[in-house]
Order: sequence, then structure tokens, then C-alpha cells
Amino acid sequence: MPLELIRPSDWNLPLFVHVLGAIVLVGSMFALVVLALASRRGANTELFARLAFRSTLLVVLPAFIVMRAGAAWIESREYPSGANEPGWLGVGFAVADPGVLVLLILIVLGWRSVKAGGGGRAATAVTVIAGLYLVALGVAMFAMSAKPS
Amino acid sequence: MTTYGWLLFLHITGAFLFLGGAVAAAVFNVSAQTRERPSEVAALMRMTQVVVPIVGLGSIMTLVFGLWLVHDVGYGYGDGWIVAAIILWAVAAGLGGAGGKRERETRVLAERLAAEGDSPSSELRARMRDPATIAMSYGAGIALLVVLVLMIWKPGAG
Repeated sequence: MPLELIRPSDWNLPLFVHVLGAIVLVGSMFALVVLALASRRGANTELFARLAFRSTLLVVLPAFIVMRAGAAWIESREYPSGANEPGWLGVGFAVADPGVLVLLILIVLGWRSVKAGGGGRAATAVTVIAGLYLVALGVAMFAMSAKPS
Repeated sequence: MTTYGWLLFLHITGAFLFLGGAVAAAVFNVSAQTRERPSEVAALMRMTQVVVPIVGLGSIMTLVFGLWLVHDVGYGYGDGWIVAAIILWAVAAGLGGAGGKRERETRVLAERLAAEGDSPSSELRARMRDPATIAMSYGAGIALLVVLVLMIWKPGAG
């Protein structure tokens, strides 16, 4: 049995909180990309811009907070001194921590897109930035799950 | 990278596609429930259709690579937490499939109403708030959440 499968039982709840937050974050970020893409042109652009903005505030942001809080919680259990942290953990934080800035930018751009009635540069920027961050989350997921040495 | 590392990555990727896809579908469905105009409901429900293949791929990946992991790690296929997870996986897939079929029918109705004047309809409103469809969607979500709990706590695993 691989050694990484054996973990103290008091790590389970923080791990669950982290993984659940990450899953909701990825799913809601994908929904945001689809809504933002739809808000760029065609019918109902204003509606989709509003729903994209609302999803960012009501689902993406809370999921990010739960994911990041869970990450800090499990890290405090697994590496209490902060020493000898493996590289895959660094990849996770390298993606998660700039996420605060990414979300702030998405909120501002989403609000501007709503004010513009959808379409325009703000909607395009939300689509591109959310899409790129979704890819970054995929890279973090690879590092956290496969833990390549 | 070890075989275990690859299998775990593919299993977890499947879980993210399966559960993450379900979250995305929930965002579109809940958004659709707040709308009255059939064209808006139809547009949001078409977005749910985009997620269906992602959820399907994720469900297959979780099962295939999960069973492969059981073999690779040396767990027993008859272990209680594994049997419970497989049963709940099937329950989630069944409920999700049945709920999805009803939602497709609602989307077809919304598209027809949109083409016939796009006026709010009590029939569409009733379909959007159909308790059986909502129960199926929430039931599938709860089953997947319990599977996630089982995968992390692994009760009874040696």
C-alpha cells in the first residue's frame, strides 16, 4: 500500500473541506466561462452578463474561500512547522494565492460587463481570464493528486 | 511517476469532471428557474446540455480508475466502503440520468414556447418547479457528496 494512503484520521475533515471547495470552484468557474462566453454576443447578452456576475459573487467566491481555508487547515495538520514542504504543495499555493487577485479582477470586469449590458471588452476579458484560471486550477489539481516528485 | 500516482490523478480528474460538471449544471438550472421567458429558460437549459458529456466522461473515469486503484492498492472489492461507493455511484448516475431526461423535455417545451411568441407559461413554470425532477437532481448530488465522504474517510479500510 502506498505510504501516502496512510494518514491520521484528523486530517480527513480538512481534506474534505479543501476538496469540496476545489470541486465547487472548478465547476462554478466552468459555468462562469460558459455564461461569460454567451454574454459576448447573440440574444440575452445582458441576462448572461448578470448571471455570470452573480455566479462569481454567490458561487465562485465562496467556493474559493472554502478551498483556500481548507488548504491552510490541512497544511497546518500535515506540515505544522512549515518545513520540508514538497514541491507539489508549492504548485497548489502558486495557483491558489493569486486567485484572490484573479477573483477581484473578475468581479470588477463582471460588474462592468453588467453595466455595459453584456458584450464588449469586459465580457471578453471575463471569458479569457476565467478560462485561463480554470486551466491553472487543472494544473494545480494534477500536482495535488499525482504529487510528481 | 508511479502507476498509483497516474491512477489517482485520473480517478480524481474524473471526480472533478463528474462533481464539477454537476455543480455547473446546477448553476444553469437554478438560473433557469428564476426566469419566466421561455427563450431565456431554453438558452440556460441548452447550457446544461454542454455539461452532460463532461459529467458522463467523469462518471466513467471515476468508476474505471477507481476500480483499477482498488486492485493496484490491494483493497478488497468487497470492502464495505467500496461497495457502498459503487452503489451510490449507480444511484447518482440513475437519478441524474432520469432527472436529465425530464429536463430535456422541459427544454423542448421552452424552445417550442419561445418559437410561439415567447410568452411566460404556467405549464413551463410548473415543469421548472417539478418536485420530482428537483428531488432527482438533489438526490444525485447528495449521493455524490456521500461518495466523496467515503473516498476521504474510507471507513473500515485496513
